[in-house]
Amino acid sequence: MKAWLNFSPEIVNQAVISDLIKNFDITFNILKANITPKGGEMLIEISGDQAQDGIKYLEEQGINLTPAKRVVKKDEEKCVDCGACVSLCPVDAISIDEDWKVELDDQKCIGCGFCSSSCPTRAIKLAD
Amino acid sequence: MKTIEEINQKIKDGDAVVVTAAEMTRIVRDIGADEAAREVDVVTTGTFGAMCSSGAFLNFGHSDPPIKMSRTFLNGVEAYSGLAAVDAYIGATQPHRDPKVGLEYGGSHLLEDLVRGKEVELLAEAYGTDCYPLKDIHTNFKLEELNQAIMVNPRNSYQNYAAATNSTEETLHTYLGTLLPKMGNVTYSSAGELSPLLNDPLFKTMGLGTRIFLCGAEGYILGEGTQHSTEVDRVNGVPVGSAGTLMLKGDLKKMDAEFLRGATMPEYGPTLYVGVGVPIPVLNSEIAHQTGISDQDIKCRVLDYGVPRRSRPAVLETNYHDLRSGSVEIDGHEIQTSPMSSFRKALQVAEKLKDWIEGGTFFLTPPVERIPSKGQTVKPLQIKRPSILVKDLKSKEPITTTPQDNISDVARLMVDNNINHVPVVDKEGKLMGIVTSWDIAQAVAKDVPELTQVMTKKVIVAMEEEPVELIARRIDKYEISGVPIVDRDNLVKGMITAEDISRLVCSHQNKGDGSL
Repeated sequence: MKAWLNFSPEIVNQAVISDLIKNFDITFNILKANITPKGGEMLIEISGDQAQDGIKYLEEQGINLTPAKRVVKKDEEKCVDCGACVSLCPVDAISIDEDWKVELDDQKCIGCGFCSSSCPTRAIKLAD
Repeated sequence: MKTIEEINQKIKDGDAVVVTAAEMTRIVRDIGADEAAREVDVVTTGTFGAMCSSGAFLNFGHSDPPIKMSRTFLNGVEAYSGLAAVDAYIGATQPHRDPKVGLEYGGSHLLEDLVRGKEVELLAEAYGTDCYPLKDIHTNFKLEELNQAIMVNPRNSYQNYAAATNSTEETLHTYLGTLLPKMGNVTYSSAGELSPLLNDPLFKTMGLGTRIFLCGAEGYILGEGTQHSTEVDRVNGVPVGSAGTLMLKGDLKKMDAEFLRGATMPEYGPTLYVGVGVPIPVLNSEIAHQTGISDQDIKCRVLDYGVPRRSRPAVLETNYHDLRSGSVEIDGHEIQTSPMSSFRKALQVAEKLKDWIEGGTFFLTPPVERIPSKGQTVKPLQIKRPSILVKDLKSKEPITTTPQDNISDVARLMVDNNINHVPVVDKEGKLMGIVTSWDIAQAVAKDVPELTQVMTKKVIVAMEEEPVELIARRIDKYEISGVPIVDRDNLVKGMITAEDISRLVCSHQNKGDGSL
């Protein structure tokens, strides 16, 4: 699952993530992180046998976890299917289907924002 | 074999056989050009791409009291008003007047808003005359309230176009979209086998007066577009790069925003996505053969846009079949491609035009004058006013120092010669670093004994053959006050300072020439 982790200023100096990886059998991928001494947030993808235990651990450590439902949103009215975004996606989450329509795979998306900043009609927005 | 009149009669009778250019490619492949010419009457083409050279003439009508508009702003985007009192031309790429909005809303977005029937703000300024006393106007209008809104696009529907990649270390933002560093992607723009001018490469069926599909309405070809070019490399009868172009007109009031979209190429600027479809009458088997061209047959060069010059080097020759597959191979690496123009919309254009003709509401017109198919080349713009080169500046003998010199000697050198910069050179006179009077002051204040400890080692320099304008931009970019002039061997030839440049600008202004 993909989720946003919210770090409060009190815990930013604790090695929570490395403890998590040491103690649980999980696969853990950091997609995005912005953490300062004033706290911050991190978008992660977590899977593996002990993923649920790991999530519980994170919550116990005082990290607020919200599952990320959507990473990007495409406005179908604005999109003209030009395909400018297709070659910019680092994880192949954007493709052109057999009807030449541009499709965005939210499951693969890591929210890098490259497509959204390069869209000529501003049809792609990063979800909050 | 067939005439346009005969085809029009068939359209009238509901008997015309109309296919899209994509369908025609399969038909010609299956039954051959001769048979296809007998069976098919009209091939509809289509493209939906960013076409910067687009815009519209607007006539606002006369106010009371009347005004002769000299500057006009529509939703903050300037339209050209150097025409009669209430005429203006709104160009697609004009950015918003407010730099904060800048490239995000421009002429193209305004055109889309008009077509969508939105109310638009009109601000106009005038100098006032006896017959047009009003000096400014501030009002709103909708497209339907204008007397005329006539789209006239000086250059649309390019016959093929280069694909782009970027060999540099930095991301580039171009009119062909975002180009990732180290050839991270390839972008292309032609609709390939659907593209109007690739289906009639020598313009045998089109010219002034040809009725077309333009942004969802009927439009016309006015003739060749600007930068129209015919003397180009061809493979399979079609150009391998940009060649022919069209000048088009249509009634903005009848257009559909489905086929006209305002857009912004990031960090490049506004541009208009224009839907164009040209019907090609299949008069004989030669025309059938041409309209049977496939993506595979249409070659395209991938140019390196990392080279910021007029002619960019080609890194690959490919074709639209490969480009459309999603990736091409360059130097053994698979590189993702992006179309930039919408093939889906291009198909919709061709299908819509087909529906109109099949439905008996759209008839073909023979051109009054054909588009030139030979003798057209694109001339470059020569910069005839020579730029002033660094070596042309009267430079004094270079005053330099060596790393062994002590701080107080350098301080004296500066005071005696009334200078603030001293290049540090080795025994042969090659540049090693630079010290400024500020560096010397620091050395004294902090009691630093060695010159090498205070000098700047990574020196921004000027070459003798460079234009002075370039050096002015460099001094500004790096926030420095002067640069040493060096030759190819890194030997110091002099100094050029911000003061030298301001003096040069002043002397030019005194001669009545404001710029360098």
